[in-house]
Amino acid sequence: MTVQPQAAPAAPRAGGTLGKRILAFAGHPLFRGDPQVVHGRNPYRRMLAPGSLAEADFDRPPGPGEWAAHRSLAAHRLLGTFYEAETVLLPEQGLDGLYEDFDLFYGPDLKELREGSVSDLERFAFGCLDEAVDVSGAATPEVLEAYFQHVVEEAAAGPSPALTAIAGARDRKSAADLYLVQLALDGLTEASAMSRNLAGAYGPEQSALFKIFIDEFGYGVYDAKHTTIFAKMLRSRAMATHVHAYWNFYLTGPLATNNYYYYLSRDHAKFFRYAGAVTYAEAVFAPAFVEMIKVFRDIFGDAVDLHYCDEHAHIDEHHGRITRDQVLLALAGRHGPRVVPELLRGIAEARLVGGWFEDDTAAQIRWSDDLPRHRELAGSARTGSEPPRRVVLTAESPFGTRCHDGDVVLEVERGEADLVTTPTGPPERLARGEAVLIPGGRLYGIRPATPETACALHAVPPA
Amino acid sequence: MARVIVMDLSRHNTVMVGHDRYFVLHEGERSLLVRDHCPHRGGPLSLARRTPDGRRLSCPWHGTKVGVSAVKRSCLPMVRSGDEAVVVLPDTGDPVSVIHKEILANLPPDPTHDEGAESR
Repeated sequence: MTVQPQAAPAAPRAGGTLGKRILAFAGHPLFRGDPQVVHGRNPYRRMLAPGSLAEADFDRPPGPGEWAAHRSLAAHRLLGTFYEAETVLLPEQGLDGLYEDFDLFYGPDLKELREGSVSDLERFAFGCLDEAVDVSGAATPEVLEAYFQHVVEEAAAGPSPALTAIAGARDRKSAADLYLVQLALDGLTEASAMSRNLAGAYGPEQSALFKIFIDEFGYGVYDAKHTTIFAKMLRSRAMATHVHAYWNFYLTGPLATNNYYYYLSRDHAKFFRYAGAVTYAEAVFAPAFVEMIKVFRDIFGDAVDLHYCDEHAHIDEHHGRITRDQVLLALAGRHGPRVVPELLRGIAEARLVGGWFEDDTAAQIRWSDDLPRHRELAGSARTGSEPPRRVVLTAESPFGTRCHDGDVVLEVERGEADLVTTPTGPPERLARGEAVLIPGGRLYGIRPATPETACALHAVPPA
Repeated sequence: MARVIVMDLSRHNTVMVGHDRYFVLHEGERSLLVRDHCPHRGGPLSLARRTPDGRRLSCPWHGTKVGVSAVKRSCLPMVRSGDEAVVVLPDTGDPVSVIHKEILANLPPDPTHDEGAESR
């Protein structure tokens, strides 16, 4: 379910042609969700919250400061689904009972909608990067090397906001699980985007990139594949390991980060930007996983399987070196100064989008860890004069999550509701008359705790 | 080897490298770090105003017109991400400082500009 009026004035607010195509896609039965918080073992079904999507204005792309806006979340959920439909997803338990969903997911109707929308949706979702980043001046290989060294040293020196938020949380286990879920977005389909850049003929740099790809795929040994050892880590936390079990808890920043690499890889005109981005990513992964190991060991001791993190802390040192020397600098040397601005842009954009991942995850951890204070804040919040939007939920209502552009006070008017903000933490029970402040950009879902629950959403105007 | 400096463009718009000064010139959506130096006698181009067509800067010292595209070609390598700009400088050993100055060159073209002034 998603928090929305039952009869939302969908089409008028969704914008022009892109909005209509998107609504047609999201309105497909595969994407309407079900009452369960965690998605079942069916990679073709995922909640695209068609109701809340209808509120999003797809005529107005989010600006650089609006990456956490509701329409940004909606766009990245769709874009992620579009991209994954270009990969092979099969359920581990076999297709028995899912043949029809397989046919629908990859079938001509959705394919046509996807292909007719993907470029527009990419411009919508990533157009803000054109404003957020620019590269100027005579960009030489020396400049590239100096800039790269600077940003990598900076990343290695600075603490991860998300890991800092976990370490400082009251419920550190739930916070750590929420972080794992953000990694699962890529972790369970790892290197899928990268695979698009392996075909063609571009010399030793192609072979260098392929070495990394082979590592990600465990040299063809299933047990060594990175997705396999990522699932082991989830299993050690008693979490679901099937693809997108926790779809409802992927945040905008992590979705954008994951989509960014697909976005670059889908369009080979952006190949040099991809080379910059992947080099940055590989260089900063190793120290990030070293930090993650410390934080997770501190919380869980030996009860968590961190083989995946150990693997990355080790192998990404090599990948960082290979991508820097044999991809990034090699491409700059072979193809000349004309490609250096694109390589620089890829580094800068990967750094920026990676910052969204961190900031979004940290903010979600802090909000979900401090709901009592947000109950207090709801009491003192000044709501606007606009009438609230009302939502009525029953046990059959599909569960979905969303966020709002600005602060909102959620009030239970009838029945009881569970506010769900984390994948594994306990939900916050709200009785009739109780309210909570939901900060702009924060993800939540509502599950009815009584046969029928009515909620009101009061917008809080900016101070 | 090169040197890297980081500027906060919401606070700073000028870089001093030894005796050389560079300022942030806005060109559409882009920001460029260009040399604050008129090729005629070294006048401060940051205090130049654009000609009505927006394509040249009129140096405040002697009215020399300097093409914006030529000024742009002189810019230092810079990667801007939001308000943060990372600038790569040659390692000359000169001291570097980052400051805020008045930049007239980013104002709209001067409608009172007299095209023939410098030739009289």
